[in-house]
Amino acid sequence: MASHESQMPSQENSDQDDSDVDDDNFDYYGEDQFEVAMYENRDDRPAGTSYRNADADPIDPEYFEYSCLQICDVERLLNECVEALCHAIPVTPALAKVLLHNHKWDVASLIRRYKLNCHLLLVETHIKPPKPVAPSSTGQRFTSCPVCVRSNLAYSELRGLACGDQFCRSCWVMHCASQLAQGASTAIECMEAKCSLLCPEDFVLKLLGDRPDLRAKYQHFVFQDHVKSHPELRFCPGADCPTVIRSKSLQAKRAVCKTCSTSFCFRCGIDYHAPTACATIKRWMIKCADDSETANYISAHTKDCPNCHACIEKNGGCNHMQCAKCKHHFCWMCFGDWKTHGSEYYECSRYKENPTVAQEAVHVKARRALEKYLHYYERFENHSKSLKLEEELRGKIKQKIDDKVNNHQGTWIDWQYLHDAATLLTKCRYTLQYTYPYAYYMEPGPRKELFEYQQAQLEKEIEELSWKVERAETTDRGDLENQMNVAEKKRLTLLQDFFDK
Amino acid sequence: MSNIAFQRLQREFKEVITNAEIAQTGIRLDTSDDTLTKLKGEIKGPPDSPYEGGTFKLDIIIPDNYPFHPPKVSFETKIWHPNISSQTGTICLDILKDQWAASLTLRTVLLSVQSLLAAPEPSDPQDAVVAKQCLTHPQMFTETARLWAQVCADAPGERNSQLYKKLTQLMDMGVGKESALSALSCNSWDVSKATEHLFS
Ligand SMILES: [Zn+2]
Ligand SMILES: [Zn+2]
Ligand SMILES: [Zn+2]
Ligand SMILES: [Zn+2]
Ligand SMILES: [Zn+2]
Ligand SMILES: [Zn+2]
Repeated sequence: MASHESQMPSQENSDQDDSDVDDDNFDYYGEDQFEVAMYENRDDRPAGTSYRNADADPIDPEYFEYSCLQICDVERLLNECVEALCHAIPVTPALAKVLLHNHKWDVASLIRRYKLNCHLLLVETHIKPPKPVAPSSTGQRFTSCPVCVRSNLAYSELRGLACGDQFCRSCWVMHCASQLAQGASTAIECMEAKCSLLCPEDFVLKLLGDRPDLRAKYQHFVFQDHVKSHPELRFCPGADCPTVIRSKSLQAKRAVCKTCSTSFCFRCGIDYHAPTACATIKRWMIKCADDSETANYISAHTKDCPNCHACIEKNGGCNHMQCAKCKHHFCWMCFGDWKTHGSEYYECSRYKENPTVAQEAVHVKARRALEKYLHYYERFENHSKSLKLEEELRGKIKQKIDDKVNNHQGTWIDWQYLHDAATLLTKCRYTLQYTYPYAYYMEPGPRKELFEYQQAQLEKEIEELSWKVERAETTDRGDLENQMNVAEKKRLTLLQDFFDK
Repeated sequence: MSNIAFQRLQREFKEVITNAEIAQTGIRLDTSDDTLTKLKGEIKGPPDSPYEGGTFKLDIIIPDNYPFHPPKVSFETKIWHPNISSQTGTICLDILKDQWAASLTLRTVLLSVQSLLAAPEPSDPQDAVVAKQCLTHPQMFTETARLWAQVCADAPGERNSQLYKKLTQLMDMGVGKESALSALSCNSWDVSKATEHLFS
């Protein structure tokens, strides 16, 4: 077991007692190059730990470098950008913030553009009006405000931006309050209809000087806007979590918040979804929400044994079922005999496209489309349910280990592998769940065939692992650890070949 | 209503009522109560449009924080126009939403609505049925919009006899003028489809 990882795939047969068929196909599918490259690199690692080190391995297809920042860290980071820009070009910090917010916080590019044509940059960023402003006549003693139409105002009552449009102070305050009530902060514009100059922070804060409630609200909104406009920053999507995740690369990789443990896709902010792409998973989610009515019938938790028709309740996450009455082994998803499942390769996950589909009538086509969708949806949902059940299983295993340790039947280190196995099972099944939306949107062809071949292999190994984890106490430790390695390898192979971040 | 809003509206009223130049553009402003929260607007259909010469009444509701929030404006008079709901009179116009600015006035709003009548934008529709007809059957759209203006907004001119005959046909069956117009217009002036639409 310990040397398993460093071995060439061709040697695997002698080492493994499970399914021989997949390994015969190994070279044909060209997976070996990746495995060799990947595992040679890991030779110096302690065996059996690779799956736990996935987050720290730059070759791992899911490797992702990020950090979790608190509000003060983010403020420091943003302030550093402001200071850098103010040092390089003659702008106030407030204007620097307008520039940075509207140009993805790219200090270097702003400096370059400023030096190239500062007028153009300031006009494009709505800081300066496109045309020079005619000096206003200050001959009279009094003036009026076009918004509240009060006349006999002293000139000192008026406020305005670089555009020269002037309004009274109290109108500006009401304008800002009304904009804040609608959620606007960095986007507050001049009150003149044809003018789109932006109100910089110092202008607004000065107006709100005697309104601490509005000031606080304004500053809170500005901070939110700045984080959203910064390409390296993402708010943690966890409920009421103030943490900001930072990564230099905008990738569809998994980020885990250190504060609240919420795990999400860094690029799109929803649940992590490798190997499926952000746009695809969005389409899939919308489709699932639309079709939830038709797909509802799937949620039934009981089915009859295909052999003796005894009612079986699925209470574990494993889809390899055994009828308690007649001991028949079958697959929960397709009801096929489990034995015939393994002989070719795991057939169940593959939806068979009907080649004569084009000639069929519209309503038949619609039904086929629904059938195809249900095939993928059923499996997506089923693995999601299995994940929840296995989550409970993991809790039970933890409890069991605690009990054993308390009864002096070894230490946590002795039993750690059981918990690791359950954790790995969750990780593998999670990826497997998200292979179904991927497959659903794939065009039929050799690439889809390869994908579904790898998906089937992964599925088979996961069910095998699940079966063994559920019976962990009676399973041989080496056997279990071997199964863990095989499942994780299949998972990594699939991600390496199909996950394009 | 805030003090600012009240002062502003009083000034706006004076401006619209007393200014002869404004009266010439065919826009009017009226109020039924002294609180100035509910107003009535009126615009004349612009020349060289199917709405020419029609008198269109508008409902205007002034929000408490006017002029920092836009007024709510909708057509009381029924109108066939891609950017105005033929059912509710709701208007799709940028300055009534995110492009509102505190320096805009009811006069500018009414003028903008008037120019919207002269230049429909079917690519950004409020009423999808009207917009589709406007894009695919422009001739039928013009005839339909003109008949609506003649029947609902007293626009002058010869009525399209073919369409008007279909309208009276439905009205003779006891259908109200506006329901009949709407049913026929939404069903490409197919009388049997419109009847089915009305009685099913
Ligand atoms: Zn004012
Ligand atoms: Zn301005
Ligand atoms: Zn969090
Ligand atoms: Zn994503
Ligand atoms: Zn049975
Ligand atoms: Zn099956």
